[in-house]
Amino acid sequence: MAKKPTKRYAMVLDSRKCIDCKACIVACKAENDVPLGVFRNRINVEKAGDYPKLRMSFDPEQCHHCENPSCVRVCPTGASYQREDGIVLVKYDDCIGCKYCIIACPYDARYHNPETHTVGKCTFCSHRVDRGELPACVETCPSKVRVFGDLNDPKSELHQLLASRRHQVMNPQTGNGPQLYYLL
Amino acid sequence: MQRRLFMQILGAGTLVGVNSACSKWFGKRSSAVPYRLGIPTTCELCPNKCSVLADVKGDRIHKLNPNPANPKSRGMLCARGNAAIQQVYDPDRLKQPMIRVGARGEGKWRTATWEEAWDFAAGKLKATRDKYGPEGTLWSSTEGFQEVFFKNLGLAFGSPNIQRHPSLCLASVNLAYSMTFGTVPSFDLQKADYIIMAGANRFESIITPDTMDLIGGTMNRKAKLVYLDPRFTVTAAKADDWFPIRPGSDMAFILAMIHVIIRDGKHDKAFLDAFTLGFDQLVEHVKPYTPEWAEGETEIPAAEITRIAREFADAAPRAVFYAGRRSSWYQNDFQMRRAQAILNAIVGNWDREGGMVPNRKIAKGEFMFLPWDDPKASRVDEVEKDFPLTSAKDGVYLPLREHVLKGQPYPVKAWMVYKQDPLHSVPDQGKTLKMMEQMDFIGVIDIAMSDTAWYADVIFPESHYLERTDPIEVMPGIWPAAVYRQQVVKPIHDTKPCLEIAQGLAKRLGLSDYFDYTIEQWVEAEAKELPIPNGFEHMKKHGVVASVDAKYGTTRNEAHRFITKSGKIEIFSERLAEAGHDPLPVYTPQPQPPSGKFRLVLGRKATITHAGLTHLPWLNEQVPTNDLWLNPLPAGRMGIRTGDWLEVASTSGKVKIQARVTDEIRPDCVFMLHGFGKKSPWLKRTFNNGAADAVLLETAWDKVSGNAAMHETFVSIVKA
Repeated sequence: MAKKPTKRYAMVLDSRKCIDCKACIVACKAENDVPLGVFRNRINVEKAGDYPKLRMSFDPEQCHHCENPSCVRVCPTGASYQREDGIVLVKYDDCIGCKYCIIACPYDARYHNPETHTVGKCTFCSHRVDRGELPACVETCPSKVRVFGDLNDPKSELHQLLASRRHQVMNPQTGNGPQLYYLL
Repeated sequence: MQRRLFMQILGAGTLVGVNSACSKWFGKRSSAVPYRLGIPTTCELCPNKCSVLADVKGDRIHKLNPNPANPKSRGMLCARGNAAIQQVYDPDRLKQPMIRVGARGEGKWRTATWEEAWDFAAGKLKATRDKYGPEGTLWSSTEGFQEVFFKNLGLAFGSPNIQRHPSLCLASVNLAYSMTFGTVPSFDLQKADYIIMAGANRFESIITPDTMDLIGGTMNRKAKLVYLDPRFTVTAAKADDWFPIRPGSDMAFILAMIHVIIRDGKHDKAFLDAFTLGFDQLVEHVKPYTPEWAEGETEIPAAEITRIAREFADAAPRAVFYAGRRSSWYQNDFQMRRAQAILNAIVGNWDREGGMVPNRKIAKGEFMFLPWDDPKASRVDEVEKDFPLTSAKDGVYLPLREHVLKGQPYPVKAWMVYKQDPLHSVPDQGKTLKMMEQMDFIGVIDIAMSDTAWYADVIFPESHYLERTDPIEVMPGIWPAAVYRQQVVKPIHDTKPCLEIAQGLAKRLGLSDYFDYTIEQWVEAEAKELPIPNGFEHMKKHGVVASVDAKYGTTRNEAHRFITKSGKIEIFSERLAEAGHDPLPVYTPQPQPPSGKFRLVLGRKATITHAGLTHLPWLNEQVPTNDLWLNPLPAGRMGIRTGDWLEVASTSGKVKIQARVTDEIRPDCVFMLHGFGKKSPWLKRTFNNGAADAVLLETAWDKVSGNAAMHETFVSIVKA
């Protein structure tokens, strides 16, 4: 077993509060210069029923920054890697654009950047996190769906939410150990 | 002023370690591009005026982030706010003054110097004045921090015809609450336990802080939300109850609620005795409005109306019937809003936690400019005569257009437009085009080539909000704030702020004396009387002064005089009776679409509110075009499937648009988003893409306020 890292970043999402307003998506595009047509985060919409008995729910999703990221395992050049604090990143200089990782990701969280021919994905805005700020999607969210923080910090709001509220991860059967926690 | 003001240390959120609010150089990045983080300013993409912290990389705006110091914006920035950067760097933006050389709308322009553009426009305005008097000019604008300079130029020029936006928006709701309470209150959704909302769709039509407080209220505090809308919106999806009410019958629902509450004795008797006038008349007035009767009008079961009325009264005073904005629906809109106000009044939620709260204001100074003589002529829309209760200084847009088209009572031959696209924001585009045709001169001030700009004679490109400094704006509310917009980057093109554009014209019109100041002098005078020391410096550093403490109950004492005729809350309104209107809201059934026709209803999406935003790439890729929502029942009958091209027609016009067959709308209604079907090729993504609702909308207005009635149009549909 590797020694316990000092930090382990994760995200808790309260989907019931999501109003599908796309602020997270546009904020991400601005912060990370994501080209048109591809996205680092999305809002999954589920609809059911017939008029007038209708239901509609929204689930924001992005890279799950998995405990055992399959994208990192398949990368032939080592461009995809995981930081000590759990954030999964791509070293663009080492990426050859082979797209193995896109296929290996069970959450469809990666895309091929048509401008740079490398693979892009959510970075948890590591550059902002490293200067002590929140990821852009978290900060901008009008209904405060997302809580970002350190799993290993018992005082963090994230830790406390997970300790006190029922939650689930998406498709745990992937064995990847996803780190986006959805409150129930 | 005894008010605890909160001067928040910015960026001090628990997780935000860096003081992101200091507008200082934040070291150097590896690429050696200087990075400035957190320059405070104020968003301009919609009327919410959210506080923003701008990150600038080199000389380029990199990211806009929410400024948590403003309690009204609740630490958020929506998709539109984030996309503002794309307005600045839009390759098709207006970059220098232009003068038309071809026919109107032909799109042949020559670039001009500012001097040429000013000379040209001033010459035309003077020629109009010589021929028709200064009242022969029309000055129309949408609200904004620099609107004051545009308006003042029109007034100083001597024109009474300053046409502002409320009569396309919320004039009816403002007037209805003012006539009842003497003021327009806010709704305390942060504390309310029971909220009834009719059509205001707060989860897609974002208003701060209401949207955020409502989602927090319903999800964290389990507040109850009852929602009425012919469409299944996001708000409907999140509500405890959604009723696809029959359009135009909201007043029947409200009157029946009042009926039940009074019948069950659940009204707040002590409050009504102490603060209101005319409750006895109301008791008699609502007797026939039973829930059983309302069921026939609204298609909402009587048992449900009764249940909701009881739950509402039981939850009071933490219960509100939310007023909403863009209240421009029907010709009886004012009276429907009056019924809402009265319903709120009888449960005694006035000035209580979780109820309706009169707005407070942050004090600011005023710059003293040289005053001019009041315009001599009366307004062309004859608002004082036809709509004596409404705000005459804002005008009534649709009646004004009728008057101008007829040349009655006098001709209006020059039109200056600021920050507005009347071809899209005003119903019946065909009529607006006709009004443009009969103008000798049209001048437009804007940041992008709107459709109206496309038909103009001269275009003055305004600097974007991130490129200019604006006056301080006071935002009344439960959490009042004063916000400041300061220049984040220098203008990247040959553009100017509205004040300088107005000054250039003023100089040529001989009105320079009235505009003899700079924006800095103006702001300094305003900042001097802000309730904080070194106001100007504070605003530059923090962008906002706000009060974080809500105050309740200040008007709930016997000595308080409401700003109504009687000094009380007027359930029965003598002033309305004197003006020839119903002193208590009388229900008249609204016409319903004849067979084979559908009612066109309008609404918003969080990324699409105003017509000027739909072409921004980040917003456009979320909703690339608009389509016509149609229920599967009529669609099946007519053999229409999603994606089919339709020809949709009203008495005003005809459009081609694709069908979206969806359960999310009543079978007798159709719906389309606003802001598509543009005529201006400079709006690449929306040019000839989708259809414009303004083409279809017919001319109709609320009888009391003159507010445009935008849900009165019936359309026919055939497969194209």
